[in-house]
Amino acid sequence: EMSQGTVSAADVAAALAGAVRGALGPRGGRALLVRPDGRALLTRDGLRMLEALSLQPPTARAMAACACRHRSATGDGAKTFVLLLAAVLGAMRDGSPRRAARALPAFERRVLERAVARGLRPHLRCAFPAGGPGAELEAAALEALLEAYLRGRLGPGERRAVALLGCELCARCGARRPPALRLLCDRFAQLHAAAAGLPLARSRVLPGVLLRRDFAAYCPAGGRLRAVLVTRCLRPVLAAPGVECAVRSERQHRAALRWCGGRTEAVMERLRSSGVRLLLSGVKQHEEVIYYAKLHGVSVVECLSSEEVALISEITGISPYDPAGDSVQREIAEAAVVTFCQPLLLGSQRYAHIGFSSAGAFQPHCLVLCAPVDAVNEQHAAALHGAFTMLLQLFREVGQECRAESQNGASGVVSRYSPATETQVATESIACSSSQVSEHQLGGCRDETTAQSSDLALQESEHPDCMSPASAPGPQSKELNVCTDGTDSAGTHTVCERADGINESHRKHPAVCSHRNYSTAVVSTATLCEHLGVDKGPEKAGCGVTQSCPCSILEAGSVLPVGGYFEILLHYYIRQYAKQVQQSAVTVISNVVADALLSIPKALYGTERNGFTKFYLETTEALRKNQPLPVNEKGLESVYCKYQLVTSVLHCVTELLNIDLIIGVKRPLTGDSNLF
Amino acid sequence: MSRLEGKKPSLFTREPLTTVSQPLSLLIAILKSCYGPAGRLKQIHNGMGGYVCLTSQSSAILSHISVSHPVLKVLMASVQNHVSRFSDCGLFTAILCCSLIESFKNLNIASCTVIKISKHLLSLCTDYLKSEACGCRVSVDFSNLETLLCLVRSILISKPACMLNKTEVDHLAVLIVKAFMFTVPCHPETKPILGKCVTVPVKGRRVLDSAVIPGLLIETPEVQFAKLFSVKRSNSDNVKVAVFCVSMSGDLFGPEEGTLTVHHGVSLEMSELDQLLNVGKQLVNDEVGLVVCQKVIHPSLKKYLKDNHVIAVDRAGLSVMEPLSQVTGSKPIASIYSLSPSCYGSLKDVCAKSFASKHFVHLIPNDTVVCSLVLCNRNETIWDELKRACETAEHVLQLTLKEPLALLGGGCTETHLASYLRQKICCLSTSSSKDVDCSQSQYQLIADAFCHSLESVACSLSHDDGEIITDMAYGHCWLVPSGFPSVSNWSDLLLKCGCGINSSTKDLSWRHLQPLFGSPPIESCPKEPSIKVADFMALDCFAAKYNGLQVAVETANLILDLSCIIEDQN
Repeated sequence: EMSQGTVSAADVAAALAGAVRGALGPRGGRALLVRPDGRALLTRDGLRMLEALSLQPPTARAMAACACRHRSATGDGAKTFVLLLAAVLGAMRDGSPRRAARALPAFERRVLERAVARGLRPHLRCAFPAGGPGAELEAAALEALLEAYLRGRLGPGERRAVALLGCELCARCGARRPPALRLLCDRFAQLHAAAAGLPLARSRVLPGVLLRRDFAAYCPAGGRLRAVLVTRCLRPVLAAPGVECAVRSERQHRAALRWCGGRTEAVMERLRSSGVRLLLSGVKQHEEVIYYAKLHGVSVVECLSSEEVALISEITGISPYDPAGDSVQREIAEAAVVTFCQPLLLGSQRYAHIGFSSAGAFQPHCLVLCAPVDAVNEQHAAALHGAFTMLLQLFREVGQECRAESQNGASGVVSRYSPATETQVATESIACSSSQVSEHQLGGCRDETTAQSSDLALQESEHPDCMSPASAPGPQSKELNVCTDGTDSAGTHTVCERADGINESHRKHPAVCSHRNYSTAVVSTATLCEHLGVDKGPEKAGCGVTQSCPCSILEAGSVLPVGGYFEILLHYYIRQYAKQVQQSAVTVISNVVADALLSIPKALYGTERNGFTKFYLETTEALRKNQPLPVNEKGLESVYCKYQLVTSVLHCVTELLNIDLIIGVKRPLTGDSNLF
Repeated sequence: MSRLEGKKPSLFTREPLTTVSQPLSLLIAILKSCYGPAGRLKQIHNGMGGYVCLTSQSSAILSHISVSHPVLKVLMASVQNHVSRFSDCGLFTAILCCSLIESFKNLNIASCTVIKISKHLLSLCTDYLKSEACGCRVSVDFSNLETLLCLVRSILISKPACMLNKTEVDHLAVLIVKAFMFTVPCHPETKPILGKCVTVPVKGRRVLDSAVIPGLLIETPEVQFAKLFSVKRSNSDNVKVAVFCVSMSGDLFGPEEGTLTVHHGVSLEMSELDQLLNVGKQLVNDEVGLVVCQKVIHPSLKKYLKDNHVIAVDRAGLSVMEPLSQVTGSKPIASIYSLSPSCYGSLKDVCAKSFASKHFVHLIPNDTVVCSLVLCNRNETIWDELKRACETAEHVLQLTLKEPLALLGGGCTETHLASYLRQKICCLSTSSSKDVDCSQSQYQLIADAFCHSLESVACSLSHDDGEIITDMAYGHCWLVPSGFPSVSNWSDLLLKCGCGINSSTKDLSWRHLQPLFGSPPIESCPKEPSIKVADFMALDCFAAKYNGLQVAVETANLILDLSCIIEDQN
């Protein structure tokens, strides 16, 4: 009954792959999604397409959910995910699924991680020329990454223009470094506006922020001015909620109302005399507030969304001003500086265009997207948002988690976000001492160009003596006991986030990153030199605890030329490293995955006759001869995202293979990750 | 989570362009038949009865008819967006876009190649249109009204459903230009914002009774009418105006969140009315001559004001508030508890006017950027069409003020652009085809299809099986009246080209536009005729056509790029 399940899973995956294949790669077309309300949505985003399919077969839903989860995390790769999944499942059709499921973690640990950490490493390029902490994305690399990404998401006539807009926005916002990039990514919905009925060429990057509201009161003012943010109505009310106000006479009522008006005017006068010329409100203000604002020459933008209020706070660092409860005379401390504020009309939508002075790294700029129809604008905005998410992933690295193979079979991948500021003292001293050792060792093995075999035999990651309590898997990491008992239900998470702790302090300085004690050292192009006997080296004694999580599989900022190079390289090195593994099950899986990887460049080259074969032969030939790869491609892609894709697919396969029964229930399920 | 169940799977269609042919050709047929001064009218109505729309304008047609094919929905949305932004050239955009899709679809070349090349061709066109050397554009001189009148007349003539004769066209064109001139501020350096022209509908009168009146007309019921004549003036001989945007009805409104407990014998309504009368007193003391309220004024206050010779107009409505502030310079007052004299505006005079059976208060300002266009027509259905045409014309004039250029009308811009492209491709194609990574023949085919689509827009001007020809010298468009046999000597038959700039001469050589594919390339660049603005020249709005051209090509590219449709069936 288990094999029945696999066959159908393979078929389902193949059907899904057929649906998304048409939209893959630079030659792919876009999908027109018609929503239930009849509105059109144009997209080439695999996530949107899979969601729109409203799949019914439970296996398909599970696959789509995995693909979407991966896409949401990395900003890219839902279509590739489905294709790779289909290829892997298709190739596993004949074998025993349970055996394959058991061998997958071992494959990942022994073959895949090594293929990436050692095989791929010499070919990788770095998108941060300065490197190290506080890394800034290089302008040329940014353009290459964006353009390559958008090739998979936009039509041929739009990619270049949108990529240039994205680059300009990034550069002008200061978002080539992580903190500002994160803000741009999180607040992109508020940082762009769309206008339909115009050609794409009219799109612009504007300084300042466009708030999706018209001025309730607009009093033109030149030069720098102060602005305050409020989140409640400035006019006092006679009776607050839950408060009863007794009216004893008509005069009293009139006096009370007059007092409310007077108080409102006093607040406005106070604001104006402190130089405030702009009032930004998160709520609707009373008509009287607007009236007095007009009288005192204060512009008002009201009904701002909570996201817009949050954005303004983040940019300017101010918090909302509350005039209630104290005397009107108090000094207004929390005011933002605004260099200009004016109304802007985009189509029928009016905006308040406000030039905030930034209090942080993010220089406020916004993007005005133009296209003939809204659906295209939405597509462009979604693509750029995905691109920024992808760029953010570039600052991450993949580390190898310390573990004991004998205890748990699941591979642990520590993915870390490397912040700009970090204490490096401890790390550097370790790194320096180890680099000396490395140098010494390099001399010994310089002649051996292919030393992998001996190295692999050493089973580098086994540190039975180093298994101190500190290096045991942390509370965040979930363990999978797939190997030890097959009766277990499928677990999912093998990626554990560790933003702090030991791993964090072990970030390497760029100067020594190629001479690290566990990593491969590159002597010349494509010449690999592996360390021998690293486990027994003298550095172990000196390094203590940090040594148990020694190296990263992928450096932050690693990029490769786009267009199937990653897949071909990984295919080549998986095959190479698989030869050195004794377990036949792992060898079988290695071959399955290696061949499945080729399905992606095959799909990319699609209709071109012999395009793929030629590309494959040229590349592998160069690899065999240790020559530089024949690259005539300017676009780049993030290796982190690609590597995550492969591991996510393998985890999804493990999950699917371990399912033996699908139980349908009538009641709605409660859960947090049900996308469908 | 409940949507886990009961959700139907979506409908997945591969190669959506194969299913679009038939509805697309129907749409083209409808659009083409509407195009130009000789376009056929469409009567749009609901089978259940009710409103009937008689039109040939894209804005009305596209908003009234519904299509079911999702691809056509995208196309229509695109054109509608263009129209909502530029008002003009909607049919041009729609026809061009449809023709591009149809002719590119038939080429059987990979869509990404087609898209790249058509984008390249579009950039050739836009560069040419923006360049000084462009032979199909004229610059608009605002000191010479004749060009502006030509522009407006071309718009009115191209809307046959307005049913205007030549005198009426001339009359309306003058009115529209005059109204536009009123809205241009005299001192743009202090206030660089265009004013407003408010259209006042008067149905049941002749078109020739239409008029432009400086200032603002606010409609009032007849009852008030008799008392309107004596208006109180302040010391400066102007009429002081107070504009209220808050209700003056004396009703308590806007309940606050908490509770108000009112003691026995206390009436908040009375309190409110007292306050209103206080406001009235202050208005009288401040020598206000006219009070306009967006909402309702309490009858007692109205009477009090009337007794004190203050004109009170209420229920003015939100739409009048903006021009009202512009015309009087007053700030709308939002509180009846504090009245600042700085809110008052002023007017030169206030008087009563009536058109047909309607009565208005006429606000006459000192320095106006607001005017009222009293638009008359006997027929209500035609009035709607006429109003759309007038609004288009006004918008076109505004766009032209921003960019003082116009394009030749009557199909001449399209044929001229096509002949420019054909000639340009001859010199460029070897290098260009390499740039976009395709073969020379593919490039040629796509360029031909592109030019053909442009020319097919010009061809849509003829509706009576009349032939359309182009001359080989200027690349202009010439309409041959129907019923003439195909003769070789066109020069004797034709008088003027479509736009009216060129007269036919013996030495012109001709080419048919209808059977297009494989037409011989033109060796020489189309000549630039010495453009003198003639009396009756057809001109099109530059900004609208320039945008329409780009939108049409981008939309066609977008549709060609579709690989599948996923329709949600829920």
